[in-house]
Amino acid sequence: MTNTWALCALWVGLALAATLLAIWFKISTALSEIVVGTVAQLVIGVFLTGLFGFAQGGLAGNTQWITFLAGTGAIVLTFLAGAELDPTIFKTKWREASVIGLAGFFGPFLGCTAVAHYVLHWAIMPSWLCGVALSTTSVAVVYAVMLELGFNVTEYGKAILAACFINDLGTVIALGLIFSPFTIKTLIFLVVSIAVFVVLPFLTPRFFKKYGGRVSELEAKYLLFFLFAMGGLAVWAGSEAVLPAYMIGMVLAGTVGKDHSLIRRLRTLTFGLLTPFYFIRAGSFVSVPALMAAPVTLLVLFGAKSLFKAIAVYPAVRVHKYDGKAGAYYTLMMSTGLTFGTISALFGLNHQIITQAQYSYIVGAVIASAVIPTIIANSFFLPHHLLPHHRAGKKAEKEVMMPVPAEEG
Amino acid sequence: MGSPVFVGIQRILVAFDASPHAEHALDVALAMAGDMKAKLFVISVIRPPEPAESAEFHAVLEDGQERYEKCFIPLRERAKQKDVELETDIVLGHPAEQIIHKADVVQASLIVMGKRSHTILHRWMLGSNSERVLRYAHCPVMIVH
Repeated sequence: MTNTWALCALWVGLALAATLLAIWFKISTALSEIVVGTVAQLVIGVFLTGLFGFAQGGLAGNTQWITFLAGTGAIVLTFLAGAELDPTIFKTKWREASVIGLAGFFGPFLGCTAVAHYVLHWAIMPSWLCGVALSTTSVAVVYAVMLELGFNVTEYGKAILAACFINDLGTVIALGLIFSPFTIKTLIFLVVSIAVFVVLPFLTPRFFKKYGGRVSELEAKYLLFFLFAMGGLAVWAGSEAVLPAYMIGMVLAGTVGKDHSLIRRLRTLTFGLLTPFYFIRAGSFVSVPALMAAPVTLLVLFGAKSLFKAIAVYPAVRVHKYDGKAGAYYTLMMSTGLTFGTISALFGLNHQIITQAQYSYIVGAVIASAVIPTIIANSFFLPHHLLPHHRAGKKAEKEVMMPVPAEEG
Repeated sequence: MGSPVFVGIQRILVAFDASPHAEHALDVALAMAGDMKAKLFVISVIRPPEPAESAEFHAVLEDGQERYEKCFIPLRERAKQKDVELETDIVLGHPAEQIIHKADVVQASLIVMGKRSHTILHRWMLGSNSERVLRYAHCPVMIVH
């Protein structure tokens, strides 16, 4: 029998190590946790299985309580991602956002599906799953670039940002609907979902105003109730729990999303306990031997994602007056997407749509698509006005160290 | 402070990351600005984790803004006591790039920053911000140890 507390200590210890690595190397905690999960599974699976009563199979990522915590992490993380939408921007820019966002979704979705099926000779369902997982983008990466360059206040910048939400919405809808047969259950799920999405923005602020603001954390329980209830309905209908979670986040973005104190408390719960289990678990299923056996597969998928994202997004971005390097920069930035990419791949693995080897290639491509475009964008396509003025001739002159004046007493 | 090397320094930019080294650099810059009647610009850079992930990125952004705003409150008081004109700014991005960019924008005649002691591995992986600013800045740079 597995020692629950020892296993829990191991996972939280790995989360702690991943966080330290993220701090030291200035990388995102999610990325660090995936990598730590992969390495830990490899090392523990080989050397430590059986020690302290650990289950066979290394990190035992399929243990029920770990699956629950990881699943809750994915749901709450998706909800928080949806809640970051700015409804005002979305209302004013929905037309441009839809063009760029749908191009950003359909380009890699169809392109990567075709590459997986015709080039890698995967069966049709794994190929569709691959297309969904590689169609994602990262709102946060684009938003970070916007803030850095001061474009977040420009009309173009706002449209690009809103486009990212459309892109990810396409991903979660595809994930939620493609892999389940359309039955009466699907219809019930859709009707109930629409009713809930209409009612929640009216009900939630009034409910919170009347009963919220207490130490009993009514707000968190209320949100978790709707996330779990709608997630349960989605799974019953053969869909995926993150679909309603993202939609609930989006419809509550104008109310709950603006309550910084509540969002902060949810983040504490999410980052402190839930997402480490989600990302370490996602990493633990990556098979290093499979990646080493066929690294070209990973490169093909990464190349396909980048290529089809660029083919689809760059013309759409240029139509909206982003020229030259800035346009290329946005295109590269829209090529990332760690959270929804891993959620899609894990969905495929859990539902036996893809094999562990296919999962490893997809997650590898997702990680590469999150890291490599950022490096390329920072190295070559940084818009000129932010580039440092390198005046080699004056180098010696400016490197003169000046004396430090005595401190005043 | 009578050295001719300081003549013409009217706009001093300080890079501030709330570390003890940065606090020391700020003390030095404030004293210089007071003596030379120079305007003091303080820039704090929030560095997002790469690649930025949605919820974590927003948390880092909000925490950074809150932390630096708190640090700026006593600083404004100190600048007022010394009769130093002060401008503070919180930006997002790579620290060295943002410091150099800010120095260009405000036409700083001197950049003052603290030097953090990093391990060889850290320097190899991420580089040193003070070294990058020294290499690329258009104006003199003072590194306070």
